[in-house]
Amino acid sequence: MPAQPPLPPLLAPYVSALPQSSLTLLSSVLGATGNWLILRYLYSALGAPVGDAAFGLHGSEGGRKRKVVLVSFLRGWEFWRSEAKRLGLDLARLTDKRQFAFVDGLSELFYTPTPSSQTTTTTSTSGPAPSRTVLPVRSQPGPLPARGVPQPAPARPTPTNPHQQVQQQSRGPGPVKRLHLSGTGVQALDALENDISSVIKQLKTPVTPGEEEPEILLIVDQPDLLLAATGPAKGIGATEMGEWIMGLQQNVHATVLALSADSPLIHNAAESAHQPSTPLEMESAAFAIGSAHRAQMVLQLRNLETGAARDVSGVLRVSKGGAWGQVDAGAEDKWEEREVLYFVQRDGGVCVFGRGE
Amino acid sequence: MSFRKRNIGLSAGADRAPAPNAATAQPEQASTTPESNPGIRPSPDDGRPTTSTGSLSLDNLLAGHGGLPIGKMLLIEENGTTDFAGALLRYYAAEGVVQDQKIHVIGMPEQWGRSLPGLLGPADAGDDKKSDRRKGDRMKIAWRYERLGEFGAGVAGSRGWSSPMKRNAHVRGTQTLTRVAPAATSGDQTMTDGVQPAFCHSFDLTKRLTHPSIANINYIPLVPSNEPLFASIHKKLQQAISQSPPNIAHRVIIPSLLNPTLYPPETSQPDILLPFLHSLKALLSAPTTRITAMVTIPLSLFSRSSGLVRWMEIISDGVIELCPFPHSADALGASGAATSHEEPPQGMLKTHRLPVLHERGGGSDQNIGQDWAFTLSRRKFEIKPFSLPPAEGDKEAQDGAASGGMPKKADLEF
Repeated sequence: MPAQPPLPPLLAPYVSALPQSSLTLLSSVLGATGNWLILRYLYSALGAPVGDAAFGLHGSEGGRKRKVVLVSFLRGWEFWRSEAKRLGLDLARLTDKRQFAFVDGLSELFYTPTPSSQTTTTTSTSGPAPSRTVLPVRSQPGPLPARGVPQPAPARPTPTNPHQQVQQQSRGPGPVKRLHLSGTGVQALDALENDISSVIKQLKTPVTPGEEEPEILLIVDQPDLLLAATGPAKGIGATEMGEWIMGLQQNVHATVLALSADSPLIHNAAESAHQPSTPLEMESAAFAIGSAHRAQMVLQLRNLETGAARDVSGVLRVSKGGAWGQVDAGAEDKWEEREVLYFVQRDGGVCVFGRGE
Repeated sequence: MSFRKRNIGLSAGADRAPAPNAATAQPEQASTTPESNPGIRPSPDDGRPTTSTGSLSLDNLLAGHGGLPIGKMLLIEENGTTDFAGALLRYYAAEGVVQDQKIHVIGMPEQWGRSLPGLLGPADAGDDKKSDRRKGDRMKIAWRYERLGEFGAGVAGSRGWSSPMKRNAHVRGTQTLTRVAPAATSGDQTMTDGVQPAFCHSFDLTKRLTHPSIANINYIPLVPSNEPLFASIHKKLQQAISQSPPNIAHRVIIPSLLNPTLYPPETSQPDILLPFLHSLKALLSAPTTRITAMVTIPLSLFSRSSGLVRWMEIISDGVIELCPFPHSADALGASGAATSHEEPPQGMLKTHRLPVLHERGGGSDQNIGQDWAFTLSRRKFEIKPFSLPPAEGDKEAQDGAASGGMPKKADLEF
């Protein structure tokens, strides 16, 4: 299979140029996770290095700067940083340049660490942590080093320098805002919303006066965990979650929402299900379906129906969401509904191709 | 590229070329690897630190990493009333004890730790004889697959600690890997013969493990307190981990989670269980600690088709389901063995999610999409590809297979 650019051409129309105040829903299942697609959204908004003529879309977009806020409830900063590095995005540096902000919904969401462990984490950040971070996932997605050609000298030293910079940066107060859920019901959600919008506002305030307000893309990774782990018993249901998302949407240019849509979480709630559904299943289904109705575009990831294959990771189906056609028609001509296969390679690259190609 | 040029590249002189690179590029990387930790080695796939599950074939199943990557949680689900998952947990615990890692067992009394299987020795040693014996057959049947490596003796099987050159090849990616492979495998031989510590050991279920560090196992009992149960477990776990020296690796073992004989009924509420698992995941993925976890759950009580179990799976990094054959299927099991000297499989094993691989998006693993069968014997938990032999009456197919699949030379000429 031929190598494709970090943003495969088939995928480009769906991940770039999201319309104003739109919601994009990205649903995944257990065996076909959507992290790679979230990374493509990051890349599309933050990447596009200079001199890359393939991304004409960004050039035509004009001078407005793009910034991204990523809220992740299931993956930590380390994961996103190292995976983005495989795409050539240095999230730590982008954080420093105030183009990117990460909101950590994993580390302290439910239980706060005890003070003793807090001290160990801060002091030992410079200790064993670099050893893990430096272990190169892969040095550079550059061209295959040709054998017998003695040219590694210029290429080799460069990977180490960014690493060191990253360590120094991440040693500081930290680019990462950590969410903590306390209390119940709407108040708890409101507190989280305040935390996230403060990060968004921080990113919005211009560095130099007179600068145009940037377009902010908000990516919320698996907020349905919040719903599953609290539920109606704690006063948080699908309605509250929907309103929470809507509140977050008000502050940003566009929103990408990643949810789990495994069959037990969607179909068990149906009337035709054989067993009575639990509150968890009902609320999950209501939240996912409700979000799909409010979304402009729905990207569904799922496994191959015919079983696992070695050169196909899964199926991506792009379809119109319930809110399609409600905003200006201009932006919506850029893409059409379709179903493609994708394959995530070992090196982090992704091939997207049609059936039979 | 012409054929001739490639040929030159393969000669011994040019083959040396990567080695100087390795020498220059490797020191700074090598100095950062945690060499001090026994039982932790970089993954052959991408260099992240991994640790053994105590069962060689389970290690090899984990998406080419040759072990459970540090910071990952493995969920083992089991159907029926058997306790194969418990055996896997015991191997996992015993491996941790032997490697001087800190074990945290949740919800089990100290007897559990006393019944860990006894140590036999490094896992590779026992395997060599077997693979030698098999070699003859394999060469005849599928010589062209030889270099792909046999499952079970694959990525992690016979490799000890990686030599700098081999590491370099791995880190660069698969393209170079195939070319440097011959050199790397010859390097393996010398490395395993050396004094490098074993990564994975084999254990005997009928014996009891005696090891000085077995007394260090931390048991976290399920005692009612005025705090919520899981919150207090989490606090104790966190304290134990933060009080131990930072270099030590931890293993968290949660046998039979939600089993009603151990856990009070309200723990199966999602708003109690899922926050605990989520914070366990947070604990594991903290960059400063080295923790792995293995959790088992009885599927007969909590079905996979329920939303709760699905959320447990989504939170876990790896999900493996064991489906033991019922006793009435012994006949099927017996015929499922490919040859007479192999033990019949005792059940099917399904991998629903593998650590790291599925986090990235899935695909591209040679083990994906296979049907696996497992056999638990006294000495090992073996996972093999499951295949049904030709039907009993199908004489023709059996003869065909016996005479060898290779077409004669005459058949190939046009």
